[in-house]
Amino acid sequence: MSTTLLQPAFADPVLDAQRSFRAALKALAGPGLVQPLEQAPPLQGLAPASYALCLALLDGDTPLWLAPAFDTPTIRANLAFHCGCAIVSHREQARFALLDDSELGDLQGFDLGNDRYPDQSCTLLIQLPQLDGGRPLAWRGPGIQHQNRVALPLSEGFWRERKARNDFPRGLDAFFLAGHSVIGLPRSTRINCLEPTPLAEEFA
Amino acid sequence: MSSAPVALHAARQQWIGVLARAHRGELSGHEAALRDTEYQLIRAPEIGMTLVRGRMGGTGAPFNLGEMSVTRCVVRLADGRTGYSYLAGRDKAHAELAALADAHLQGSQQARWLSELIEPLARSQAARRAKKDAETAATKVEFFTLVRGED
Repeated sequence: MSTTLLQPAFADPVLDAQRSFRAALKALAGPGLVQPLEQAPPLQGLAPASYALCLALLDGDTPLWLAPAFDTPTIRANLAFHCGCAIVSHREQARFALLDDSELGDLQGFDLGNDRYPDQSCTLLIQLPQLDGGRPLAWRGPGIQHQNRVALPLSEGFWRERKARNDFPRGLDAFFLAGHSVIGLPRSTRINCLEPTPLAEEFA
Repeated sequence: MSSAPVALHAARQQWIGVLARAHRGELSGHEAALRDTEYQLIRAPEIGMTLVRGRMGGTGAPFNLGEMSVTRCVVRLADGRTGYSYLAGRDKAHAELAALADAHLQGSQQARWLSELIEPLARSQAARRAKKDAETAATKVEFFTLVRGED
Protein backbone atom coordinates (compact mmCIF):
# COMPACT_ATOMS: atom_id res chain seq x y z
CA MET A 1 0.00 0.00 0.00
CA SER A 2 1.31 3.40 -0.92
CA THR A 3 0.11 5.15 2.21
CA THR A 4 3.43 4.59 4.00
CA LEU A 5 5.08 6.85 1.40
CA LEU A 6 2.92 9.88 2.15
CA GLN A 7 4.62 13.03 3.41
CA PRO A 8 3.17 16.29 4.69
CA ALA A 9 2.89 19.05 2.09
CA PHE A 10 2.18 22.77 2.66
CA ALA A 11 2.09 23.73 6.33
CA ASP A 12 -0.76 26.15 5.57
CA PRO A 13 -2.54 24.70 2.53
CA VAL A 14 -4.53 27.79 1.58
CA LEU A 15 -2.02 30.60 2.09
CA ASP A 16 1.00 28.63 0.90
CA ALA A 17 -0.80 27.63 -2.29
CA GLN A 18 -1.76 31.27 -2.86
CA ARG A 19 1.82 32.46 -2.27
CA SER A 20 3.16 29.84 -4.68
CA PHE A 21 0.57 30.75 -7.30
CA ARG A 22 1.52 34.40 -6.90
CA ALA A 23 5.20 33.53 -7.42
CA ALA A 24 4.28 31.59 -10.57
CA LEU A 25 2.30 34.58 -11.91
CA LYS A 26 5.20 36.94 -11.20
CA ALA A 27 7.63 34.53 -12.84
CA LEU A 28 5.62 34.53 -16.08
CA ALA A 29 4.94 38.27 -15.92
CA GLY A 30 8.66 39.06 -15.62
CA PRO A 31 10.42 36.40 -17.66
CA GLY A 32 13.97 35.69 -16.57
CA LEU A 33 13.70 37.18 -13.08
CA VAL A 34 14.24 34.78 -10.19
CA GLN A 35 11.24 34.50 -7.87
CA PRO A 36 11.46 32.83 -4.45
CA LEU A 37 9.29 29.76 -3.97
CA GLU A 38 10.01 28.33 -0.56
CA GLN A 39 6.67 27.26 0.89
CA ALA A 40 6.90 23.52 0.35
CA PRO A 41 9.16 20.94 1.98
CA PRO A 42 11.39 18.89 -0.32
CA LEU A 43 10.08 15.54 -1.47
CA GLN A 44 12.43 12.73 -2.42
CA GLY A 45 13.81 13.76 -5.82
CA LEU A 46 11.72 16.93 -6.09
CA ALA A 47 13.14 20.33 -5.18
CA PRO A 48 11.01 22.44 -2.80
CA ALA A 49 10.26 24.87 -5.64
CA SER A 50 9.08 22.07 -7.96
CA TYR A 51 6.93 20.53 -5.26
CA ALA A 52 5.42 23.91 -4.33
CA LEU A 53 4.43 24.58 -7.93
CA CYS A 54 2.93 21.10 -8.27
CA LEU A 55 0.91 21.60 -5.10
CA ALA A 56 -0.29 25.03 -6.22
CA LEU A 57 -1.10 24.25 -9.86
CA LEU A 58 -2.22 20.63 -10.05
CA ASP A 59 -5.63 19.26 -9.22
CA GLY A 60 -8.15 16.76 -10.49
CA ASP A 61 -8.57 18.65 -13.79
CA THR A 62 -4.90 18.72 -14.77
CA PRO A 63 -3.41 15.48 -16.08
CA LEU A 64 0.34 15.38 -15.43
CA TRP A 65 3.10 13.72 -17.42
CA LEU A 66 6.12 12.66 -15.36
CA ALA A 67 9.62 12.32 -16.78
CA PRO A 68 11.09 8.88 -15.95
CA ALA A 69 13.44 10.51 -13.41
CA PHE A 70 10.43 11.65 -11.37
CA ASP A 71 8.30 8.57 -11.87
CA THR A 72 8.92 7.11 -8.41
CA PRO A 73 6.37 5.55 -6.05
CA THR A 74 6.92 8.37 -3.52
CA ILE A 75 6.29 11.17 -6.02
CA ARG A 76 3.32 9.37 -7.56
CA ALA A 77 1.74 8.66 -4.18
CA ASN A 78 2.19 12.19 -2.84
CA LEU A 79 1.02 13.99 -5.98
CA ALA A 80 -2.00 11.69 -6.20
CA PHE A 81 -2.81 12.30 -2.54
CA HIS A 82 -2.18 16.03 -2.20
CA CYS A 83 -3.11 17.20 -5.70
CA GLY A 84 -5.48 14.47 -6.84
CA CYS A 85 -4.12 14.82 -10.38
CA ALA A 86 -4.19 12.01 -12.91
CA ILE A 87 -0.73 10.88 -14.03
CA VAL A 88 -0.82 10.08 -17.73
CA SER A 89 1.59 8.04 -19.81
CA HIS A 90 1.04 9.92 -23.08
CA ARG A 91 2.44 13.41 -23.46
CA GLU A 92 -0.50 14.42 -25.69
CA GLN A 93 -2.96 14.11 -22.78
CA ALA A 94 -0.98 16.17 -20.29
CA ARG A 95 -1.81 19.73 -19.21
CA PHE A 96 1.38 19.86 -17.13
CA ALA A 97 4.66 18.02 -17.50
CA LEU A 98 7.35 17.61 -14.89
CA LEU A 99 10.73 17.35 -16.61
CA ASP A 100 14.36 17.10 -15.65
CA ASP A 101 17.23 18.38 -17.77
CA SER A 102 17.80 15.05 -19.51
CA GLU A 103 14.39 15.33 -21.22
CA LEU A 104 14.87 18.75 -22.78
CA GLY A 105 16.33 17.62 -26.09
CA ASP A 106 12.93 16.29 -27.15
CA LEU A 107 9.71 18.18 -26.48
CA GLN A 108 7.71 16.25 -29.04
CA GLY A 109 4.14 15.34 -28.26
CA PHE A 110 3.23 18.06 -25.76
CA ASP A 111 -0.01 19.87 -26.50
CA LEU A 112 0.67 23.33 -27.97
CA GLY A 113 -2.93 24.46 -27.65
CA ASN A 114 -4.85 25.57 -30.71
CA ASP A 115 -5.48 28.90 -32.35
CA ARG A 116 -8.82 29.31 -30.62
CA TYR A 117 -7.61 28.13 -27.19
CA PRO A 118 -3.84 28.63 -27.01
CA ASP A 119 -4.15 28.54 -23.21
CA GLN A 120 -4.87 24.81 -23.40
CA SER A 121 -1.22 24.05 -24.11
CA CYS A 122 0.87 21.89 -21.82
CA THR A 123 2.88 23.85 -19.24
CA LEU A 124 6.39 22.53 -18.61
CA LEU A 125 7.76 22.39 -15.07
CA ILE A 126 11.48 21.89 -15.58
CA GLN A 127 13.68 21.08 -12.61
CA LEU A 128 17.34 22.00 -13.02
CA PRO A 129 20.32 21.59 -10.67
CA GLN A 130 20.65 25.39 -10.51
CA LEU A 131 19.32 28.43 -12.37
CA ASP A 132 22.62 29.90 -13.56
CA GLY A 133 25.99 28.80 -14.84
CA GLY A 134 24.98 28.27 -18.45
CA ARG A 135 25.58 30.40 -21.51
CA PRO A 136 24.14 33.89 -20.93
CA LEU A 137 21.32 34.76 -23.29
CA ALA A 138 19.33 37.94 -23.79
CA TRP A 139 15.61 37.55 -23.15
CA ARG A 140 13.32 40.15 -24.72
CA GLY A 141 9.60 40.52 -25.08
CA PRO A 142 6.46 41.29 -23.08
CA GLY A 143 7.20 41.91 -19.41
CA ILE A 144 10.83 42.87 -20.07
CA GLN A 145 11.70 46.56 -20.44
CA HIS A 146 14.95 46.20 -22.37
CA GLN A 147 16.48 42.80 -22.00
CA ASN A 148 17.12 40.30 -19.24
CA ARG A 149 20.38 38.43 -19.13
CA VAL A 150 19.67 34.85 -18.12
CA ALA A 151 22.22 32.03 -17.97
CA LEU A 152 20.17 28.89 -17.51
CA PRO A 153 22.25 25.72 -17.79
CA LEU A 154 20.42 24.43 -20.84
CA SER A 155 21.64 22.71 -23.97
CA GLU A 156 21.16 24.17 -27.44
CA GLY A 157 18.78 21.31 -28.07
CA PHE A 158 16.18 22.78 -25.74
CA TRP A 159 16.18 26.17 -27.47
CA ARG A 160 15.93 24.49 -30.86
CA GLU A 161 12.98 22.39 -29.66
CA ARG A 162 11.27 25.41 -28.15
CA LYS A 163 11.67 27.42 -31.35
CA ALA A 164 10.38 24.53 -33.45
CA ARG A 165 7.22 24.36 -31.31
CA ASN A 166 6.62 28.09 -31.03
CA ASP A 167 3.92 29.03 -33.49
CA PHE A 168 2.34 32.02 -31.77
CA PRO A 169 -0.23 32.02 -30.24
CA ARG A 170 0.41 28.30 -29.93
CA GLY A 171 3.45 27.25 -27.97
CA LEU A 172 4.88 26.03 -24.69
CA ASP A 173 5.24 27.97 -21.45
CA ALA A 174 7.91 26.80 -19.04
CA PHE A 175 8.93 27.24 -15.44
CA PHE A 176 12.55 26.51 -14.51
CA LEU A 177 12.88 25.34 -10.94
CA ALA A 178 15.84 24.76 -8.68
CA GLY A 179 16.09 24.71 -4.91
CA HIS A 180 13.78 27.46 -3.67
CA SER A 181 13.61 29.53 -6.86
CA VAL A 182 11.68 29.73 -10.09
CA ILE A 183 12.19 31.48 -13.42
CA GLY A 184 9.33 31.73 -15.90
CA LEU A 185 9.64 31.50 -19.67
CA PRO A 186 6.37 32.25 -21.49
CA ARG A 187 6.03 31.48 -25.17
CA SER A 188 6.08 35.20 -25.97
CA THR A 189 9.69 35.72 -24.86
CA ARG A 190 12.29 36.04 -27.62
CA ILE A 191 15.73 34.62 -26.95
CA ASN A 192 18.85 36.09 -28.55
CA CYS A 193 22.52 35.41 -28.21
CA LEU A 194 24.13 38.00 -26.00
CA GLU A 195 27.50 38.19 -27.69
CA PRO A 196 27.94 37.42 -31.34
CA THR A 197 29.09 33.84 -31.62
CA PRO A 198 30.66 32.30 -34.68
CA LEU A 199 27.30 30.85 -35.56
CA ALA A 200 25.38 34.00 -34.64
CA GLU A 201 22.39 31.78 -34.10
CA GLU A 202 19.04 33.24 -33.17
CA PHE A 203 16.42 31.38 -31.27
CA ALA A 204 12.75 32.15 -31.46
CA MET B 1 -10.70 -10.17 -5.08
CA SER B 2 -10.51 -12.60 -2.17
CA SER B 3 -12.91 -12.33 0.74
CA ALA B 4 -10.37 -11.40 3.44
CA PRO B 5 -9.57 -7.90 2.07
CA VAL B 6 -13.26 -7.33 1.44
CA ALA B 7 -14.11 -8.18 5.06
CA LEU B 8 -11.27 -5.96 6.28
CA HIS B 9 -12.55 -3.17 4.06
CA ALA B 10 -16.08 -3.53 5.41
CA ALA B 11 -14.84 -3.56 9.01
CA ARG B 12 -12.84 -0.40 8.41
CA GLN B 13 -15.80 1.29 6.72
CA GLN B 14 -17.88 0.40 9.72
CA TRP B 15 -15.50 1.87 12.31
CA ILE B 16 -14.78 4.99 10.23
CA GLY B 17 -18.56 5.51 10.08
CA VAL B 18 -18.91 5.05 13.83
CA LEU B 19 -16.08 7.52 14.47
CA ALA B 20 -17.65 10.06 12.14
CA ARG B 21 -21.05 9.84 13.83
CA ALA B 22 -19.65 9.90 17.37
CA HIS B 23 -20.30 12.95 19.49
CA ARG B 24 -17.23 15.02 20.22
CA GLY B 25 -17.61 14.49 23.97
CA GLU B 26 -17.55 10.72 23.57
CA LEU B 27 -14.22 10.86 21.75
CA SER B 28 -12.58 13.39 24.07
CA GLY B 29 -12.71 10.80 26.84
CA HIS B 30 -10.21 8.76 24.83
CA GLU B 31 -8.11 11.73 23.77
CA ALA B 32 -5.13 10.96 26.03
CA ALA B 33 -4.96 7.33 24.86
CA LEU B 34 -5.38 8.29 21.21
CA ARG B 35 -2.67 10.94 21.30
CA ASP B 36 -0.28 8.74 23.29
CA THR B 37 1.87 7.95 20.26
CA GLU B 38 4.25 9.67 17.88
CA TYR B 39 2.41 10.89 14.82
CA GLN B 40 2.48 13.54 12.15
CA LEU B 41 -0.28 15.23 10.26
CA ILE B 42 -0.09 14.32 6.58
CA ARG B 43 -3.16 16.41 5.92
CA ALA B 44 -3.90 18.73 8.80
CA PRO B 45 -7.62 18.94 9.64
CA GLU B 46 -9.28 21.05 6.97
CA ILE B 47 -12.85 22.18 6.38
CA GLY B 48 -14.46 22.00 2.98
CA MET B 49 -17.78 21.67 1.26
CA THR B 50 -19.32 18.71 -0.44
CA LEU B 51 -22.39 18.46 -2.60
CA VAL B 52 -25.00 16.06 -1.30
CA ARG B 53 -27.04 14.39 -4.01
CA GLY B 54 -30.13 12.33 -3.59
CA ARG B 55 -32.58 10.24 -5.56
CA MET B 56 -36.30 10.61 -5.02
CA GLY B 57 -37.46 7.42 -3.36
CA GLY B 58 -33.94 6.04 -3.71
CA THR B 59 -34.47 5.13 -7.36
CA GLY B 60 -35.44 8.33 -9.19
CA ALA B 61 -33.24 10.70 -11.15
CA PRO B 62 -30.41 12.21 -9.06
CA PHE B 63 -30.90 15.76 -7.84
CA ASN B 64 -28.69 18.11 -5.85
CA LEU B 65 -29.93 18.27 -2.29
CA GLY B 66 -27.51 20.95 -1.16
CA GLU B 67 -24.01 21.51 0.12
CA MET B 68 -22.75 20.56 3.55
CA SER B 69 -19.52 21.26 5.36
CA VAL B 70 -17.11 18.38 5.81
CA THR B 71 -13.90 18.16 7.83
CA ARG B 72 -11.17 15.73 6.90
CA CYS B 73 -7.80 14.75 8.31
CA VAL B 74 -5.02 12.24 7.65
CA VAL B 75 -2.40 11.27 10.21
CA ARG B 76 0.56 8.92 10.05
CA LEU B 77 1.95 7.12 13.07
CA ALA B 78 5.67 6.57 13.54
CA ASP B 79 5.39 2.99 12.20
CA GLY B 80 3.86 4.17 8.91
CA ARG B 81 0.19 3.38 9.53
CA THR B 82 -2.09 6.07 8.14
CA GLY B 83 -5.44 6.99 9.60
CA TYR B 84 -8.12 8.85 7.64
CA SER B 85 -11.22 10.65 8.77
CA TYR B 86 -14.06 12.43 7.01
CA LEU B 87 -16.89 13.83 9.06
CA ALA B 88 -19.81 16.17 8.74
CA GLY B 89 -19.43 19.55 10.36
CA ARG B 90 -16.52 21.81 11.20
CA ASP B 91 -14.91 20.17 14.23
CA LYS B 92 -11.18 19.92 13.51
CA ALA B 93 -10.26 18.35 16.86
CA HIS B 94 -12.84 15.63 16.30
CA ALA B 95 -11.42 14.96 12.82
CA GLU B 96 -7.91 14.57 14.22
CA LEU B 97 -9.03 12.19 16.97
CA ALA B 98 -11.06 10.13 14.52
CA ALA B 99 -8.07 9.85 12.16
CA LEU B 100 -5.85 8.78 15.05
CA ALA B 101 -8.39 6.17 16.06
CA ASP B 102 -8.49 4.82 12.50
CA ALA B 103 -4.69 4.51 12.53
CA HIS B 104 -4.70 2.72 15.89
CA LEU B 105 -7.42 0.37 14.71
CA GLN B 106 -5.23 -0.90 11.88
CA GLY B 107 -2.48 -2.03 14.25
CA SER B 108 -1.84 -5.02 16.47
CA GLN B 109 -4.05 -3.63 19.25
CA GLN B 110 -7.12 -3.67 17.03
CA ALA B 111 -9.22 -5.93 19.29
CA ARG B 112 -8.60 -3.72 22.32
CA TRP B 113 -9.51 -0.54 20.42
CA LEU B 114 -12.60 -2.17 18.99
CA SER B 115 -13.88 -3.27 22.38
CA GLU B 116 -12.91 -0.10 24.27
CA LEU B 117 -13.74 2.55 21.71
CA ILE B 118 -15.80 1.44 18.73
CA GLU B 119 -18.29 -0.93 20.36
CA PRO B 120 -19.40 1.48 23.12
CA LEU B 121 -19.70 4.26 20.53
CA ALA B 122 -21.72 2.02 18.22
CA ARG B 123 -24.00 1.00 21.11
CA SER B 124 -24.72 4.58 22.15
CA GLN B 125 -25.33 5.55 18.52
CA ALA B 126 -27.76 2.66 18.10
CA ALA B 127 -29.55 3.76 21.30
CA ARG B 128 -29.76 7.37 20.08
CA ARG B 129 -31.09 6.21 16.76
CA ALA B 130 -33.69 3.92 18.34
CA LYS B 131 -34.86 6.75 20.60
CA LYS B 132 -35.17 9.11 17.65
CA ASP B 133 -37.00 6.48 15.61
CA ALA B 134 -39.42 5.94 18.47
CA GLU B 135 -40.04 9.68 18.74
CA THR B 136 -40.61 9.91 15.02
CA ALA B 137 -42.90 6.88 14.96
CA ALA B 138 -45.11 8.50 17.61
CA THR B 139 -45.86 11.38 15.25
CA LYS B 140 -46.70 9.20 12.29
CA VAL B 141 -49.95 10.09 10.56
CA GLU B 142 -51.83 7.47 8.54
CA PHE B 143 -53.51 9.14 5.60
CA PHE B 144 -56.64 7.62 4.15
CA THR B 145 -59.46 8.89 2.03
CA LEU B 146 -63.01 8.92 3.33
CA VAL B 147 -65.69 7.81 0.97
CA ARG B 148 -66.99 10.94 -0.66
CA GLY B 149 -70.73 11.21 -0.91
CA GLU B 150 -70.93 11.57 -4.66
CA ASP B 151 -72.77 8.42 -5.47
